[in-house]
Amino acid sequence: MSKSNLKSFEDPVRVFLDAVRKLHSLWLSWTYPFASVGHHFSVHYSCNLSRTVARYISIGNTVLIERDCRVDVPMVPKDFGPTILIEDGCRIGQSGTILAINRIHIGRDVIFGQSVLVMDHNHAFEDVSIPIACQGTTKGGTIRIEEGCWIGFGAAIVCNEGELVIGRNSVVGVNCVVTRSIPPYSVVSGNPARIVKQFDPSQGRWVLGSSVPVAQSRSAE
Amino acid sequence: MSETMSHAKNQPAHQPLEDPFWLTARMASKIRSLWMLWTYPFASVGSRFCAHYSCDLRRPIAPYVKIGDSVLLDREVWVNIPVLPDNNEPVIVFDDGCKVGRRCMISARNRIHFERNVIFAPSVLVMDHNHAFEDVNVPIKDQGITPGGTIRIEEGCWIGFGAAIVCGKGELVIGRNSVIGANAVVSRSVPANSVVAGNPGQVVYCPSEADKS
Repeated sequence: MSKSNLKSFEDPVRVFLDAVRKLHSLWLSWTYPFASVGHHFSVHYSCNLSRTVARYISIGNTVLIERDCRVDVPMVPKDFGPTILIEDGCRIGQSGTILAINRIHIGRDVIFGQSVLVMDHNHAFEDVSIPIACQGTTKGGTIRIEEGCWIGFGAAIVCNEGELVIGRNSVVGVNCVVTRSIPPYSVVSGNPARIVKQFDPSQGRWVLGSSVPVAQSRSAE
Repeated sequence: MSETMSHAKNQPAHQPLEDPFWLTARMASKIRSLWMLWTYPFASVGSRFCAHYSCDLRRPIAPYVKIGDSVLLDREVWVNIPVLPDNNEPVIVFDDGCKVGRRCMISARNRIHFERNVIFAPSVLVMDHNHAFEDVNVPIKDQGITPGGTIRIEEGCWIGFGAAIVCGKGELVIGRNSVIGANAVVSRSVPANSVVAGNPGQVVYCPSEADKS
């Protein structure tokens, strides 16, 4: 028994690093001018979260941001109010990137896998005579991820115009590329994103999706 | 002989010295590896184990991890066992010569077995379970994880950049010397010596089918 107890001890180096993480989180919540910040905010010390954009970011209670995440507002937004809203209980996995110039709203209890990209704008590329690096960004749209969603490993959610809504309790599969809205209670996967499973409230169970890309089914309507 | 001479001439007179800062980072990784070797209660661990200092492997899961000779865990690799099993069987097994690239994530609930000389590109995901999502009244975060299956990656495979190997149920076997392309998503077994690409993953080359045609 004593041996198994000894085995389950955490590494002291790890405990020290957790303490560094805790200090970094406290430093951020006390000194950064966030639009709002809740309690138990935990952010890894290797995160790329700049103080100059903190006033455009609103963070709820018990939000967890893992290592190497980038939460950034690359251009000064025109609207008032927070540009990036992360509500209570969200978890953002390792190497996630959230870039907003208009508005990204992440609802309660949304969990992100690793290496997820959420961007509400893009690089402009229409002019063929100058490098894309000099062409600036597109106007972009807004993104809303409703509560209880799960965004899988490596997914990319990119909105070029209008509003992109991911309905509540939806699952975005691994390495999936989402550019259109997704209805609530659905499972999408693939590139381009297809609805592979959906909850039918009339039958009260999960049914197989139409396997039509979300983009096509939207344009047919 | 003359060829080797001319080759020697093209070499710079002095090889540029390595940056001392880089050597410091190397030292940190070396110390971390030795620290893990000596103090972590691994199921078994071979010689020349090398883990980068930013690699994330918690000590409580170490009794369920079995590591062979000359295994490399690169920068920010995350090895995770979400639910500790009741028995003492190893859950994650790396055989000799596995090289796990940067930012890879390996999460096992039942069993993930990497055979000899499996190499990984950066940002690979290997998971033998998933989040449960069937209950629409509860956020997915609070629904726990599925029972999942087991994964075996046979020897000499190469997993490309950003690939994801996810097993919902049953056993997923990736045959020996297979290649998983960049950003491919594999959720079914793959025969030996084949090439898989795309999302959803499809076998684009398989030697047994190539012989038939």
